[in-house]
Amino acid sequence: MRSAQQQLIHMVNQIGENNQHSGVESAAAFTSTHIQKFWARSMKQDIIQHLNNGGQGLSEISIAAIKKL
Amino acid sequence: MLEYFDPSKDLGTPAIFSATSITLDIDGNSISVPEGTSVLRAAALYNINIPKLCATDSLEPFGSCRLCAVQIEGRRGYPAACTTPVSEGMQVVTQNTKLAKLRRNVMELYISDHPLDCLTCPANGDCELQDMAGAVGLREVRYGFNGSNHLDAPTDDSNPYFSFDASKCIVCSRCVRACEEVQGTFALTIDGRGFDSKVSAGVNQDFIDSDCVSCGACVQACPTSTLMEKSVIEQGQPEHSIVTTCAYCGVGCSFEAQMQGDQVIRMVPYKGGEANQGHSCVKGRFAFGYATHKDRIKAPMIRDHIDQPWREVSWDEAFSFAAAKIKGIQKKYGRESVGGITSSRCTNEETYLVQKLIRTAFGNNNTDTCARVCHSPTGFGLKTTLGESAGTQTFDSVREADCIMVIGANPTDAHPVFGSLMRRRLREGASLIVVDPRDIDLLATPHLNQAIHLQLRPGTNVALINALAHVIATQELLDKDFIAKRCASDAFEQWLAFISESRNSPEETEAITGVAPDKVRSAARLYATVGNGAIFYGLGVTEHSQGSTMVMGIANLALATGNLGRLGVGVNPLRGQNNVQGSCDMGSFPHELPGYQHVGEQQVRDKFEAAWKVKIDPEPGLRIPNMFDAALNGTFKGLYVQGEDIAQSDPNTQHVEKALCSLECLIVQDIFLNETAKFAHVLLPGATFLEKDGTFTNAERRINRVRKVMPPLAGLADWEVTLGLSKALGYEMHYDHPSEIMDEIAQLTPTFSGVSYQKLEELGSIQWPCNEQHPLGTPTMHVEDFPIGKGNFAITEFIPTQERSTRRLPLLLTTGRILSQYNVGAQTRRTQNMTWHSEDVLEVHPHDALERGINDGDWLGITSRAGNTVLRAKISERMQPGIVYTTFHHPGSGANVITTDNSDWATNCPEYKVTAVQVEKVSQPSRWQKAFQDSDKKQQQLLKGKQTTSVDV
Repeated sequence: MRSAQQQLIHMVNQIGENNQHSGVESAAAFTSTHIQKFWARSMKQDIIQHLNNGGQGLSEISIAAIKKL
Repeated sequence: MLEYFDPSKDLGTPAIFSATSITLDIDGNSISVPEGTSVLRAAALYNINIPKLCATDSLEPFGSCRLCAVQIEGRRGYPAACTTPVSEGMQVVTQNTKLAKLRRNVMELYISDHPLDCLTCPANGDCELQDMAGAVGLREVRYGFNGSNHLDAPTDDSNPYFSFDASKCIVCSRCVRACEEVQGTFALTIDGRGFDSKVSAGVNQDFIDSDCVSCGACVQACPTSTLMEKSVIEQGQPEHSIVTTCAYCGVGCSFEAQMQGDQVIRMVPYKGGEANQGHSCVKGRFAFGYATHKDRIKAPMIRDHIDQPWREVSWDEAFSFAAAKIKGIQKKYGRESVGGITSSRCTNEETYLVQKLIRTAFGNNNTDTCARVCHSPTGFGLKTTLGESAGTQTFDSVREADCIMVIGANPTDAHPVFGSLMRRRLREGASLIVVDPRDIDLLATPHLNQAIHLQLRPGTNVALINALAHVIATQELLDKDFIAKRCASDAFEQWLAFISESRNSPEETEAITGVAPDKVRSAARLYATVGNGAIFYGLGVTEHSQGSTMVMGIANLALATGNLGRLGVGVNPLRGQNNVQGSCDMGSFPHELPGYQHVGEQQVRDKFEAAWKVKIDPEPGLRIPNMFDAALNGTFKGLYVQGEDIAQSDPNTQHVEKALCSLECLIVQDIFLNETAKFAHVLLPGATFLEKDGTFTNAERRINRVRKVMPPLAGLADWEVTLGLSKALGYEMHYDHPSEIMDEIAQLTPTFSGVSYQKLEELGSIQWPCNEQHPLGTPTMHVEDFPIGKGNFAITEFIPTQERSTRRLPLLLTTGRILSQYNVGAQTRRTQNMTWHSEDVLEVHPHDALERGINDGDWLGITSRAGNTVLRAKISERMQPGIVYTTFHHPGSGANVITTDNSDWATNCPEYKVTAVQVEKVSQPSRWQKAFQDSDKKQQQLLKGKQTTSVDV
């Protein structure tokens, strides 16, 4: 089963994947807004931290989305 | 004078709705009623009460007893008032010497084959036969009992809740007709002819062995003591009653709690209840014994560690202990290290208070609700597309539907009273489309007209809804006028281009869904063209990794066909628990304050901060699964859980248990030592729905009153417990009665601004929005426009779940419910409903069983990537090969030991409905089950205050 960090990576990738129909930029904007609106402060901090540490496992959309946070 | 509707009065035949009024004369009174009304009902409306036995206003007229005979000017003989419709200028006489003699003769014949034991009969004082004997002035029975009779007919006591005493039966057929017309089960019949006629369950079976579902409709309809609640037989007639709302499923049936003092004798479905209109199911009608079960927690308890015995303390000591723990945790780990979970079983007022406590006394937004694991995708999906997180119709709207589409729901089991209403409409000719991997009972509705079963593979809902929409979009089946007037054009054009792509066609999606294209095309045409198309859906839609996408796909379908904004249509989520809608409405989610107002909006926070006199964190809090992850990370240490059993109901049990074990303070408020409470440090006794005042909001947005019929067993109602805890935490709230909490909700929630207890008393119930624009509430949503202005088509790309069958895990497990049990079973397992479902079983298709050498009743080990458990096998053809199915009503079954951490992309609603598993014959329980049994034994000892040896959990 996934660790807490793996779960966050899975969640952000999942949001991006489910909204990729409109292209990477638009999907990243949607994903970023979704995280902003629904994720707790600590989860946002953790995923930003993960990106800052190299962002292993994050999709292209996820990386672009997290950069917008 | 015309009488207004009085639910307690039986008007003899059902109401008729007609714009044409007919005026007639009854006993010299000029009376006007709708065309089609029976003479019996017309008279009763004017308080002219014609004697009757076989007639009752919940059933169509039958005309068998002849007691309601009347004389009508210009007509021969003595027609039955129940089967005779009124006509213009008709002159009716209901009482004269001839009629009186005739009625006495009829009654005399009835009584000549009926025991004369009124004084010792359980129906004494509540018997229509007795009443009618009095009404017609019966003074003697000339025939004696020497001839043939039925006085020695046996009693069938097989049902745990009611008995059938055939010696008291007058064969009026009311029970048979109730089973057919009201319940729709057709379990009863009249067997034999003439004098040998008798009521029979099934084919001369006992009730318990027949198709009877114990809804109680027959008991309710019986005019004698033939069908009688055992509680009345044992305890006597109730002496007062209070109308309240059932605390089981999201139908929200109104019941009369019929009482002797503070003891419930029976729960009788309330005819004036708009959700159920006098009908009930086996749970609401009979399974209320848990309220006084010996397992109830009667005093607050505390302990420092979960291996210690519980210690009974005063309420104040419990509050102080809990508050000190929470404050200590926050001091050590930070403000955000604690949170709470509200309950979909508690009242709106209680739920509101718990989220208020968390946002004020805890000072964060770490509040969530058990709706997270059932209908959170409904909130997201419907708000995105239609602008409001709620179903669009009344239940009664289904009576206008021409095509009923049921997706991922099993109404006859999970929402039985609405299932019966649905069946009634299906018998009247509406068509049925079922989208479900399993063959549900609705498909076996007697006298069903047309049904299409789209038996898809688990996890492929979105591909299927896209295929249905593809047919509608490409076959000129769109409602272009509706779309042009009511929908956002850009979103529609984008959606049209997407959905028209051939990859969404039934032919191309067949490889995903497994559903034949011609069936999909037939279903799409049926839904789009038959007239009123209504969609009802359940957790088979939401509990997927694309739950939110599927909800949006459903809304797309309704928008595309104009099936919104009037009776008979709509998008209708069937909520699992009694107050799922209400718990969502009351601000339980971590990102929303009451009324779905986002915490990130300054003006929203300003309003609440002014009322609550605290600063509200602008950031959303943790959702339930995020709380578990944070707990295992060591950043989340304290949790307050009201009326929710996350240790049993949430997925991946071992993960949940580890998270709960890591908490330094778990406060559980519940009526029993549930599975979660076994990990708790503070146990606060909960109150059942019978012990408190408040409101529930059902699946049709109907706010219903819950009324206290007995005092709380432990002295405090749940709302009072939250007040005590909040005060100990340093945030004091002042309410003398739940009505004052509702006043505050109305003040802060735009969709509730017109709601008050006074208005609820006046109207009986209110469907929100209830405000200045809709002072009497809103039965049908989106009639003129949507809360977001225009309807918003959403792109619903199918993304397969990562949970797929493999060579190692070749089967897909899906889960569901059964009629007699409710949710985690904490209530129904403590009633005689155990008669019908004493354990969860694994349904396996004969093909899969044959491959594995499995027979009915074998122990089966079920392994997923999350864990394994053991259940008994039940061979069943309800699913296709490759699919297995179980329920989750018993904690020891470990159904959620095998469900995974997959969840909906938008809301984290767990994907309970798709788990890849392998199944094999085994000879003993799983390791988890053995540990569960040990842990349970230990915690039961600790509950008694006894020290035990340590057992790992």
